[in-house]
Amino acid sequence: MKSGPLFFLGLAAAFGFSFAGIVIGSNAQLGRQAPFYDDSEGVSFPARLPGSAAAGQLAYRDLGCASCHTQQVRRAGFGSDVDRGWGDRQSVARDYIYQTHVQLGWSRTGPDLTNIAGRKPSAPDAGDLMRLLYGGQGAMPAYSFLFEDRKIVGQVSDDALRLAGRLEPAPGRQIVPTDRARELVDYLLSLNTTYDYPEAQPAPAVHPAPEAHPAPVAHPAPAAGGEAKK
Amino acid sequence: MIPAATHPLAGPPASAQPDSDRGPGRCVLLFMLGSGMLWLVLSAVLALISSIQVHSPQYLSDLEFLTHGRAQALAETAFVYGWIGNCGPALALWILCRLAGEPLRPSRWAGTGAFFWNLGVAIGLAGIAFGGVTAIPMLELPRYVQPLLFASYAAVALAGVTAWTGRRREVMFASHWYAVAALFLFPWLFSVAQVMLLWFPVRGVLQAVVAGWFAQGLWTLWIAPLALAGAYYVVPRVSGKVLPAYDTAALGFWCLLVLGAWTGGRHLIGGPAPAWIATVAIGASVILLFHYIVVFTNLRPGFAGGATSLRFIAFGVAAYVLGGLVDGVTAIRGVAVLTQFTHFDEAQRQFALHGAATMMLFGTLYFALPRIAGRPWASRGLVRGHFALYALGILLLAFCLGTAGWIQGSALNDPKTAFADIAILTRGWLLGATAAQTLLLAADIFLAVNFFTTLACAPQGGDKEGAP
Repeated sequence: MKSGPLFFLGLAAAFGFSFAGIVIGSNAQLGRQAPFYDDSEGVSFPARLPGSAAAGQLAYRDLGCASCHTQQVRRAGFGSDVDRGWGDRQSVARDYIYQTHVQLGWSRTGPDLTNIAGRKPSAPDAGDLMRLLYGGQGAMPAYSFLFEDRKIVGQVSDDALRLAGRLEPAPGRQIVPTDRARELVDYLLSLNTTYDYPEAQPAPAVHPAPEAHPAPVAHPAPAAGGEAKK
Repeated sequence: MIPAATHPLAGPPASAQPDSDRGPGRCVLLFMLGSGMLWLVLSAVLALISSIQVHSPQYLSDLEFLTHGRAQALAETAFVYGWIGNCGPALALWILCRLAGEPLRPSRWAGTGAFFWNLGVAIGLAGIAFGGVTAIPMLELPRYVQPLLFASYAAVALAGVTAWTGRRREVMFASHWYAVAALFLFPWLFSVAQVMLLWFPVRGVLQAVVAGWFAQGLWTLWIAPLALAGAYYVVPRVSGKVLPAYDTAALGFWCLLVLGAWTGGRHLIGGPAPAWIATVAIGASVILLFHYIVVFTNLRPGFAGGATSLRFIAFGVAAYVLGGLVDGVTAIRGVAVLTQFTHFDEAQRQFALHGAATMMLFGTLYFALPRIAGRPWASRGLVRGHFALYALGILLLAFCLGTAGWIQGSALNDPKTAFADIAILTRGWLLGATAAQTLLLAADIFLAVNFFTTLACAPQGGDKEGAP
């Protein structure tokens, strides 16, 4: 290796190779994925986030929730995601197309939140989530700075948290969520991926096809599913 | 047989070594190393806080600027952009200048760049603490400081370009390749990632794909090459031995550059990203083992021991190779199902950043500083303490987090184990990880104290090259 320009070209090519393959390749495959229009229901899925939930997604991001919670359900049989009731199906690319800040996450110190509003048999409601955020539980820290400890003037506020035990406020005081807490909870309650896209159906259990080749164009966009769609 | 001219030991004779040591270049390098040292200590404090929060979630939880997510992001950013981002390029520039036989120039550009880089990191950390975190691993800095970092890095790297193009002899050594690659590729990688993730974010799950490519690229195209440049420079010089398999070194280098960034997709196994990305990553991780074998074979003389710098580098090389093997194994789906999303991932990340890259950088620093500053290290005791504590700390950290991760992974795969129980099962090991972080913090303080005392004490003539 003596020639400087040649060396530099080599560097550029090495960089460009992975860039073209991974970034451009996956973009060509999924960059224009459209929502799925369901004829029988007359609605498209996924739905866009309502305004307050979109604001809540920013709170989710800037508090660093993703350092303990993932938002991706892996297919049945790969980990216990489906058995834990995190979702009836694996997450697919289409679930995320309207999310401005996708938070797949990298750690499961806490449970997955992909489908927290659609959990079975019982999904948490706003009150449950507020209490969890205020008091913490198990390995979950308390985010008490998202709440105000206010004096009760006249009647107790409609929004005041219904707390018991160690979290109960002092007599004459109440715990009221701030706007950020409300937005965050709105966001969490918008996390519902119960709609079944065609690509989310598990592949029939025939003999496994060979793994997909890194030729992204070989997969037309609508077929771009997760692992099951090989 | 390697021709004499390309012999890795055939650097310019010592008498012709220029001294970047004298003049403004020296101040720039010392500024970068010194500020890197401060960021290193800060990041160790933050990592300790974040590690306590994993087993005791209520610790400092009422401070909004230190939620666990933010503390983790702060520690990582201070470490990657503050410590590695200062010390790595400074040592790479020093090596390029020594190989070229030229002083550092344009030193004003480099100095201005270094100043604004540190300013950018400081603003960025404040931004993360007050809500600007991007929640993208290795790219946590708020987007408003990223263009500043890009420009200041370019100004610093310019000095590397002039040293490389101005080299007196055509030959390029292994340390040349790695140093030049790291200096050139970071701005590309960084600018592509910030445009595609923060300024004009790509759609949906593609963000995770680009983020995975970036995080892996940052490791294989920037951090690892910075560390290896130093190792390839120091090992033949200190051990006095020829690199045993120098003929294959170039192949190992290109293997890392071409395939490295492809391995990032292994973190997306099972997720909503296209399956081929994970599959290609698994293949690339396995082929990349060739690179690790080449590095190990070539830097083997470093294990002969003796000098301080070699001890650090040998540890770093061993950790680098071991980490590479574990990366290859955990990329396989059957293993990934157990280790994905657990503390095991974190153990691998920490072992790579601290055990491999930082240990090699430390080794290079121990070799370089006496030559840059023109005086030997102030205290040999602190050097020994630094090595012992850091080595022990990182081994303990990797072991505890790895075990915690393994337990956590098995428990997660059993749908009947509740999260509260997982926390109880892993608590002991996570406490061990906190103890390890304390050791790392102590070691970093040893290094910083030794570094600043060395700079503060009066220069002693003569012993300039008689460094550890």
